[in-house]
Amino acid sequence: MMSYFFQLLISGIVVGSIYALSALGFVLIYKSSRVLNIAHGQIIAGGAFITYALTVWADIPIYISFFLSMIITFFLAMSVERIFLRRLIGEPVISVIMVTIGLMSILDGIIYLTPFGSENFSFPVFFPKTPISFGGVSVSWTQLVGVIITFLLIAAFSWFFKKSTIGISMRAVSDDQLAAMSVGISVPKVFGLAWAAAGLSAAAAGGIIGNITGLNFDTLHAFGITVFPVVILGGLDSIIGAVAAGIIMGLIQQFASGYLDGHFGLSGTAEVLPYIILLVILLFKPHGLFGIHEIERV
Amino acid sequence: MASNRWLTTGNYFTSYKQEQRIFLTHLDRTGFLIFLILLFVWPLVFPPSNKYMLVIDNILIAAVAVLGLNIATGFAGLISIGHAAFVGVGAYTAAFFAKTIGDSHVFLTHAWPLVILLSGFAGAFFGAVVGLPALRLKHLYLAIATLSFQMIFTWTINFMDFFDQGQTIPIARVFWFTGEVSRKEHYLFWYYAILVILILLGFMIRNLLRTRYGRCLVAVRDNDRAADAMGMHPGLTKVYAFALAGFMAGVAGALHAYLYRGVGIESFSLHESITYLAMAIVGGLGTLHGSFWGPAAIKMLDLFVENISEYAGSVLPATMNLTTALRPLSFGLVIVLFLMFEPRGIANWWRIFRSYTRLWPFRY
Repeated sequence: MMSYFFQLLISGIVVGSIYALSALGFVLIYKSSRVLNIAHGQIIAGGAFITYALTVWADIPIYISFFLSMIITFFLAMSVERIFLRRLIGEPVISVIMVTIGLMSILDGIIYLTPFGSENFSFPVFFPKTPISFGGVSVSWTQLVGVIITFLLIAAFSWFFKKSTIGISMRAVSDDQLAAMSVGISVPKVFGLAWAAAGLSAAAAGGIIGNITGLNFDTLHAFGITVFPVVILGGLDSIIGAVAAGIIMGLIQQFASGYLDGHFGLSGTAEVLPYIILLVILLFKPHGLFGIHEIERV
Repeated sequence: MASNRWLTTGNYFTSYKQEQRIFLTHLDRTGFLIFLILLFVWPLVFPPSNKYMLVIDNILIAAVAVLGLNIATGFAGLISIGHAAFVGVGAYTAAFFAKTIGDSHVFLTHAWPLVILLSGFAGAFFGAVVGLPALRLKHLYLAIATLSFQMIFTWTINFMDFFDQGQTIPIARVFWFTGEVSRKEHYLFWYYAILVILILLGFMIRNLLRTRYGRCLVAVRDNDRAADAMGMHPGLTKVYAFALAGFMAGVAGALHAYLYRGVGIESFSLHESITYLAMAIVGGLGTLHGSFWGPAAIKMLDLFVENISEYAGSVLPATMNLTTALRPLSFGLVIVLFLMFEPRGIANWWRIFRSYTRLWPFRY
């Protein structure tokens, strides 16, 4: 019984850290440009497929292709911002949301044109097959490495935001665009960089998810929607919030499907619980756990 | 008022009442009447095949739903990514009756206008409940709250045995004065039924927008603090906009259930919600006739893409599934292009056309 609990705990942390990495992409974009990128799941999927194509078809070692795909999505996401969102700066929220929704559809269509649209793919095995077990609780090597890479990346991103010049200018833009502009920060460039950074993290998330669960477009782009509750729970503009909320949400989902499904005539609770939590959070703490208070009541 | 009541030659309004008329001139009114008569007569003159009649019925139902969405999103500025769930609430209200009293009970087959009305009220109730977060949330947060209603709705239906876990629940054919509506005239009958309901609702909304409540909606959209200062109640207005949107959606849902003679969850997915939003935007947010242009444009695009990919499939050797790729691609492109180049939607083209014909032969 105890080992079942710990098994759920471990898989909750694994799922949660992937959530955290995916949520990071939302946070990076929202933090600087106040845009919620609904097409993020598609960018994650794109990154995963590029990694797969480079590793399996072009036969490049996984580590190199992992970085290559991160670089490719870096520029892809930057050009997406350049083409679609640059001219929408200052437009009402609904336009921006709808453009990212339209973007989601376009990327869907493009991915369906590639062989990745409908089939399942799985990465070749890179790590030892025998999982690490400890008292009945087991973690596969892929999961372990995935979690480690996730935390390294998140640490790198938060360092980048805290210390580097570009990171500080991005924070300045998120605080006050006009003030940032007046001290000589190029706001459009920062927006582009934020998207690029989000694309980079999305590719990393895609690669890790692809290694852990296999590649399937439907599950990958569903990720974009699943991560919403995580981002809201953590607060839309907090990296720490994204990490904490990711892990909380992962744990809740795993425990819900481990303990609730099959009892009380429930099934698929892991899918709906995040949204119920999301509604409760929105009602009582609309800015999330770590977000900045900016909701006004009317 | 100018002496000429058929053509306008400028602004000669002497009272607010004159300015708020639904039809500015007699010409407008006559033109609209002729248009309505044409809408009723054309299926009798050129009877379309069932396939196309179904598409037209779908457009009209979508117009009912988008009319509601346009109230919430276009006029009151409340983004709703869960509109298909409200449509689903309406459809599942009909399904609820079908499940409890049998799908061919007199209540469902004979008293169908009542069922449609009740579904509308069910939608309005859920709309008001989901609108409650609007008291505290704005913009993005509200959009996500409605999104979570969509997710919770889908899960609830998928999970409940009572609603066959999202499998299709059948609903019997309805009766009319002439007896049961047969298979052959099913789509034609519903064309007329939906058309009448759509016209009634359209006039209702048009008149609502001329009242204090309609102006409240727009005021709250433009600046809710200013609206508050002017003595309106923004919170109440928002909840009531959601309830109205829910009512329209509920009516659309019941019509959908009757048209397809069954209710299944796949018609009320997140994708449908996004489609409704796209319709509202392509048609023109915050305009009444945009709610008719949008559904027509999107459904026509769908039909067009389907025909194109069918044709391409016959020419190209069967390599890939073009339909699954082209559908989202064209849909997304239409949304993005409209938002980038014509954010005011097709309604704006109509406005330009109208002002051109009104002023012709003068430029301005």
